Amino acid sequence: MDLVTRNKWDRAAANFDLMAGYGPEKRWAPRKRELFSRMGDGKILFLAVGTGLDVPFFPEGRNIVGIDISERMLEKARARTDLYRGTLELKQMDVHEMPFAEGEFDQVFTSCTFCSVPNPVKGLEALRRVLRPGGELHMFEHTGSRYFPFNMMMNLMTPLSRKVGPEMNRPTVENVVAAGFTLDEVQHVFLDVVKIIHARR
Amino acid sequence: METRPYFVLGDFAVNIVAGVVVASISAALFGPGWNMVLAMIVAMALGMLISLPLALLSGALFGAMEVMVPVMTTGMVAGMVVSMSAAMGEIAFGSAAGLGASSGVGVTVATYLANVVIKGRAVRWTS
Repeated sequence: MDLVTRNKWDRAAANFDLMAGYGPEKRWAPRKRELFSRMGDGKILFLAVGTGLDVPFFPEGRNIVGIDISERMLEKARARTDLYRGTLELKQMDVHEMPFAEGEFDQVFTSCTFCSVPNPVKGLEALRRVLRPGGELHMFEHTGSRYFPFNMMMNLMTPLSRKVGPEMNRPTVENVVAAGFTLDEVQHVFLDVVKIIHARR
Repeated sequence: METRPYFVLGDFAVNIVAGVVVASISAALFGPGWNMVLAMIVAMALGMLISLPLALLSGALFGAMEVMVPVMTTGMVAGMVVSMSAAMGEIAFGSAAGLGASSGVGVTVATYLANVVIKGRAVRWTS
């Protein structure tokens, strides 16, 4: 397990809901609810559950495995996952070392995750491995921007932000393609910075 | 485009505050003794830096990237405008604050417009 990343998110867990729990969640709620409505009847992997802020947006009755690298995050998430009406199993796990069988999942969902995975292409390749052929990847992610001055600000901020949490300038769409996924659709939620990405294995 | 009043009003309020704060500090720091180009470059960087904690704090209430990106842009623009004005001649705090507030409103409107334009470009990613 990547201990540096685990420790960083263990430290962030205490104040995570304070920073992300109200404004960002309320702002993104309509788009997240729409995204997670795509959760089907098959087996679903949700990567980086965090403190479980997204769980209230999940449709009822699904079969979900939620993983996160931080045990502290998962401890906080349990209060929310216990209320979920369906199967939602939590596991502490590094995306780079998932013990799941090849093709075990029908769908994978991520939410503001690949700004923080240390090696994003390898992480996405690991997700591709555990998806069945034709299985779906659905992501809600913030990324870098192609446009000035937004790209300049994000490049300047990233050395600082990565010490406490996410990177601001990740090329996540390109990383999805580099990991071997077939891109179905990219929707811009805010500028070209916050995106919904739909792809297939 | 964001239409919920809580977020629209929040976006304008946070950017106006950021603009006024950065403009006031810029008016205090820069004056006619400064080279205009140097003042502009320093103030733009300083404006972004000053607006960062404001963006993080207000982001908890109004959104993450939707707040951080325009607020830092406002900091940059307000710093640039006020420092250049100050380098050309003395500028009163009231005038500087007005320029800062105007920068905040302008950047918020520009961000909303840019959002509409850039969202329309997402379609080219569709396979």
